[in-house]
Amino acid sequence: MIITNIETVPGKNIVEHFGLVSGSTIRAKHVGRDIMAGLKNLVGGELKGYTQLLQESRQQALDRMVDQARQLGANAIVNVRFSTSSVAQGAAELYVYGTAVRIE
Amino acid sequence: MYNLLFFITLIAVGYLAGTFAERYHYRSIHLREKMFINLPAVTMKTVDYPDDKIKSAELVYGSAVISIDYFKRFTASLRNIFGGTVKSYESLIDRARREALLRMKEMAGDSRMIVNVRIETSTIGRNANKKGVGCLEAIAYGTALTLA
Amino acid sequence: MKYTPRLPKSNVNVTPTSMLREFFVLTLSLLAIVIVIYILLGFAVDLIVPRISTDLETKMSELFIRSVDAEDIDSEWRGYVQSLVEDLQKRCTKLPYPFKVHVREASSVNALAFPGGHIIVFTGLLGKITSENELAFAFAHEMGHYANRDHLRGVGRAFVFITISTFLFGTDSNISQMLAHALNITELSFSRKQETRADAFALDILNCAYGNVAGATDFLKRLPKEQDPGTIGHYFASHPENLKRISDLNKIIRDKGFKPAGKKPLPKIVQQ
Repeated sequence: MIITNIETVPGKNIVEHFGLVSGSTIRAKHVGRDIMAGLKNLVGGELKGYTQLLQESRQQALDRMVDQARQLGANAIVNVRFSTSSVAQGAAELYVYGTAVRIE
Repeated sequence: MYNLLFFITLIAVGYLAGTFAERYHYRSIHLREKMFINLPAVTMKTVDYPDDKIKSAELVYGSAVISIDYFKRFTASLRNIFGGTVKSYESLIDRARREALLRMKEMAGDSRMIVNVRIETSTIGRNANKKGVGCLEAIAYGTALTLA
Repeated sequence: MKYTPRLPKSNVNVTPTSMLREFFVLTLSLLAIVIVIYILLGFAVDLIVPRISTDLETKMSELFIRSVDAEDIDSEWRGYVQSLVEDLQKRCTKLPYPFKVHVREASSVNALAFPGGHIIVFTGLLGKITSENELAFAFAHEMGHYANRDHLRGVGRAFVFITISTFLFGTDSNISQMLAHALNITELSFSRKQETRADAFALDILNCAYGNVAGATDFLKRLPKEQDPGTIGHYFASHPENLKRISDLNKIIRDKGFKPAGKKPLPKIVQQ
């Protein structure tokens, strides 16, 4: 599965498209990480725990989108966009969407 | 003790009513998705129709605000302690988003295609109530192209 | 670029698990954690409580007892119960507390032992008293809690739990509520042993002060069956079932050979 965030897949021809595909996941961090982050907020710097958590979640969202595209018979997704929002206290939603296409 | 009973009642009512509403909503979503299956919405900006074939281009949008039932909200707040995927919110967001997309398509009328679609989500009403009311808005917008 | 209309076969964005299962798994794990913390706290409290000096306890209690003071009512009872308690303390106990009795207007048939020697008694209890011995027994029972420092154990545990839950969940009240329910239920069964010990202590004091133990069980016998569970104190809800309590008391009276007769009436000022 080829995923791009431009209009095309360079060097390939888009022969058909299947409309919008999307993947999302909502993750909550556990209390331990919260406490560590609270401490880290005193001194600043990267919150490694959070970065890793969001990376994992984003990967899961991507996997879900790819899964959906496969079900439609696509072999590439173009013009992909990410969006992150916090749906509830302490939980973040990672959302990714794009257009499922078949390239040759 | 009465408080506990009250709490259990709320959970049970939340679960039953929430499940019923969700099933009903999904049935409606599936039905309408089939209805609009011939109107594609894509994130691409370019189309391969020649310019003179396109009669009009117009902004279309749709949004939906969906709230979560007591049962799912409680499950989600438990999930907050242990971390991990908040499964109870997944269907809520999925429904909100698909509903928004469908409303956008309804607005597009007899267009051929909706391009450059964007979808956004935001929680609303949380600042007004610190307890975190599970209320969520999804908005979808794009440009509907009508062919001559 | 043609469009092929297709719908996905399954919904990839929703995990196909039952929400009920998720709910029960989470609730049970939370309960397990709470129980473990509760047991650990029990040990911690047993370690810490004997090390808290009465002095420190009195100072700490000053902070919140001020609000209690404001609600005290002024009645004939106040001077009488205060002198009764001081008399009992001076003559029959070695408790280092500066006891102060607060009389409060409430229908609840209850008396509470707060840290720092503050005993709160509700008018509901006073209204049901017929002899001084009965009243002395009720206060001696509360003193028993002070002697065993039960009041600190209960407060200490509740305090730690409230602190933890607000720290973890902040404004989210759902969980804190659930914790509070769970706590209340376990607290009930936990304090039975302490109540029985306090009863035994009270009998000793009563015998020391009056030379007999008349009136010790009177009050319990007269209690109406339909006790409202009360608000904070559970004076009777958490006390062993009255009948069991009465028989326990009678057993101690027999074993120690206390005299069960010779009641002293209430002074005229408080008889209405």
